Amino acid sequence: MAIEPIAAIAAALAITGTGLATAWAEKVVGGATVGAMAEKPELFTRGLVLMVLPETIVLFGLIIAIQLVAAAVT
Amino acid sequence: MFRPEAMSRALLVGPRDKLAPTIEALHELRLLHIVEHHEGEAGFSIGKPLPHAAELSDSLVKLRSIAAILAVEKSAGTEQERLRLQELRARVLALELNISEEDSTRKKTQALLADLTRRIEELRPFAALGLPLDAYRGYENVTVLIGRVARDVVGFEEAVPRGELFQASGVAAAFVPTRDADSASGFLGKFGFAPVGVPAEGGDPKALLDASVADEEKWRARLKDVEGRLAKLRERYAGFVVAAEEALEVEVEKAEAPLRFAVSEHSFVIDGWVPAALHSKLASRLSALGVFVESSEPEAGHGHGAEPPVLLKNPRPAKPFEFLIHLYSTPSYHELDPTVFILVAFPFFFGFMIGDAGYGALFVLIGVLAFRKLPKTSDLRNLLIVIALGGFWALVFGLFLYGEMFGMPFHLAPQAHPEELAWDKFGLNYPLTALIHKEFGLADMMYLSILFAFLHLGTSFIIGIVNNVRHSKKHALAKLGWFLCLFGLFTILTRTLSWTGTANWVYSKILSGMLDPVGVLPILGYGIPTISLGLVLAAFLGFGESPVAPLEIGGLVANMISYARLAGIGIGKAAIATAFNTLILTNLVIEHDVLSAGLGFVLLVFAQLLVFALGGISAGIQGLRLNYVESFTKFFKGNGIRFVPFGTRKPQEA
Repeated sequence: MAIEPIAAIAAALAITGTGLATAWAEKVVGGATVGAMAEKPELFTRGLVLMVLPETIVLFGLIIAIQLVAAAVT
Repeated sequence: MFRPEAMSRALLVGPRDKLAPTIEALHELRLLHIVEHHEGEAGFSIGKPLPHAAELSDSLVKLRSIAAILAVEKSAGTEQERLRLQELRARVLALELNISEEDSTRKKTQALLADLTRRIEELRPFAALGLPLDAYRGYENVTVLIGRVARDVVGFEEAVPRGELFQASGVAAAFVPTRDADSASGFLGKFGFAPVGVPAEGGDPKALLDASVADEEKWRARLKDVEGRLAKLRERYAGFVVAAEEALEVEVEKAEAPLRFAVSEHSFVIDGWVPAALHSKLASRLSALGVFVESSEPEAGHGHGAEPPVLLKNPRPAKPFEFLIHLYSTPSYHELDPTVFILVAFPFFFGFMIGDAGYGALFVLIGVLAFRKLPKTSDLRNLLIVIALGGFWALVFGLFLYGEMFGMPFHLAPQAHPEELAWDKFGLNYPLTALIHKEFGLADMMYLSILFAFLHLGTSFIIGIVNNVRHSKKHALAKLGWFLCLFGLFTILTRTLSWTGTANWVYSKILSGMLDPVGVLPILGYGIPTISLGLVLAAFLGFGESPVAPLEIGGLVANMISYARLAGIGIGKAAIATAFNTLILTNLVIEHDVLSAGLGFVLLVFAQLLVFALGGISAGIQGLRLNYVESFTKFFKGNGIRFVPFGTRKPQEA
C-alpha cells in the first residue's frame, strides 16, 4: 500500500491550511467571547456556538485530505 | 413530554390589610410566577415595601459585610443554626460591633506593617554601606550618587580619578566632584546602577534598621493575634452567619414583594401565572384568606397577549437534559420541548465518537458516582449524568460495533500488521468480532456519519414542520421543502458512497427500489438518480419564505458534511490511544524487567487518563455543537421566559 508522494503532500497541505484557518478564526471568536462573557455571563452558550462554528473549515480539509489519499493509493 | 407545562393566568385581588398574609401564603406555596406591575393603570400604583423592609435590608447588608470580613462561604457543609427572626437583628448588631473593631485593628496593623517593610527596604542598603546617614548630604561641590548595582563596580578609580567609591553587596555610593557627576553616573550605568533616595533622618543606619526590624516583628505578632481572634469568631459564628443570611434574604424578598404588585388605596392586585393543573390548589388556599382569584387561559399562538412562562415537563430520566436546553435558550411556550430529542441524539453521538468499551464504562461509573454523591440541584451532577448516558452508548458501540477497549482492539483486523497489539494476545478472548475496525473502516464511519446527519437533521425539520404548521402554513411548507431536499442529498451521497459496505447495504436494501426505476443521470462523472435531483429542488418550496432560500442548499450540504466530525474524532481519539499503547507497551513493558514495566504501567495510566479526558471534552463539545448549531437552528426559536414561582431561591450565579 503506497501513496503517491505528491498526493500525500497535497493532503498534508489541505489539513495544514484549514487547520491554521480554523485556529485563527477560533482565536478571534474565542477572545471576543471571553471578553463578552466577562460582562454578561449568560452569553456563554451563544459564545460557545459561535466559537465552534469555524471547526467546519478543518473538517472540510480533513475530508479533502482523506479523498486525496484514498484516490492516490496505488 | 413534548410540550411545556400548561399555564393559566391568575389575577389575585384582595383588601390591603390581607397583603402580608397573602405574601406569606404565596411564598409557601411556590406556585405563582409573578408578572410585575408597571405604572400607568388608573387608580393603581406600584406597592410600597412592607414596613419592616428597611430594617431587614439594613441587617442583611451588615450581615453580608460580616460574612466578607470573616470570609465565611456558603457551602453545604456549614452547620446552620436554627434561629428566630425577632432576635436576629440584635445578634447581628452585636456581632457587627465586635467584628468591625477587630477588623479595623487588623487593617491598621496591616497598613503599619506595610510602612515598616518599606522602611526596612529603604534602610537596608545604607546599613550595608555602614556610613552614618549625615555623611551623604551637606556638600557644596561634591555630588553623592547612591544606588543599587547589578554587579560589583570595577575600575572606578581609573574612570573618575577624583572620586571615591564605597560599595557593599549590591549597593554602591560614589562621592564625586559635582562637575564630574555626569561622567560618573554614566560609568556607573554600565553596572546597572539604579539610584535610591537617602532617608530623611540622621544617625547610624544599622541601629535604625535594627529598631525597625524589631518593630516589624512586634506588629507581626499583634496581627497574628488579631487574625487568631477573627478565626475564632469565624468558627463560632459561621453557622449563624450563613443561616441568618439565608433567612434574611427570604424575609427581604417577602417584604419587598409589594414592589411587584399593583396597589390602590384599599386593595391590591397580583398578576401572575400558575401551572393550570395546580390552579385550584392556589385558589382554595387564597380564598380562605379572603382573596379573590380570577383565572384565564393563555391565548394561542405567538405574539398575542402576554407570553406565559415556561416550565419544562419531562419524565424524571430526561430531567438532567433540561439544563442543556436552558443553556441554549428556554423554549417558547408555543413550541415543542426538544429535551427528549437531545436525550436521544446527544448521548448517541457522544458514544459513537468515543466508541470504546473501557472509556464508556469509566464514564458510566463517574455518572453513577455523581448521581449518588452530588447535590440534586447542581449542574455538574446533571452534566455528569448526561455524559454517563453517552458512556453507556460508548460501551455498547465499543462492545458490539468496534470491538475495542482502552484503544486496543479485542481481535486484530485481518488486514492489520501481525505485530500490532490486541487483547487476545494478552489472553482475553472476547467472543464477538468487530463489525467495523476503526483503523480500516474510515469510509464506513464517514457514511454512518452522513446517515446520522440525515436522521438528525430530518427529525429537526419534522419538528420544525410541527412547530410552524399551526400558525404559518408558509413556513411549514418551507420546512417540508428542506426535509425533501435533505432526503435528496442523502440519497445522492448514499449512491455515490455505495462502494462502502454500509452505504451499499442502505442503498440496495432501502433506496434502490424507490430511485432506480426512474433512471440515473450522469452528471460530472457521478450517477445521480433523477428523483434525488427532483427532491433537492424541493428546496425551492422555501421561495415564499425568502427569495434567497434556495441558495442555502450549499449550506445544507455543509451541515451534512459537518457530521463527519463524528467519524473524525472517533478515529482520531482511537489513533492517539493506540499510539500510546503501542509505544509504552512495546518499549517498556513487554519482555522488559520489572522496574521498567512498573514505570511503563504508571506512564500508561497517565496516557490513558489524558486520552480519556481529551476524548470526553472533545466528544462532549462536538456532540453538543451538532445539536446546537446544525440541528437547533432548523426549528428552535427559544427566548421563552423561565417559570420562576415566587418563593424559589434564585439559583446562584455560576
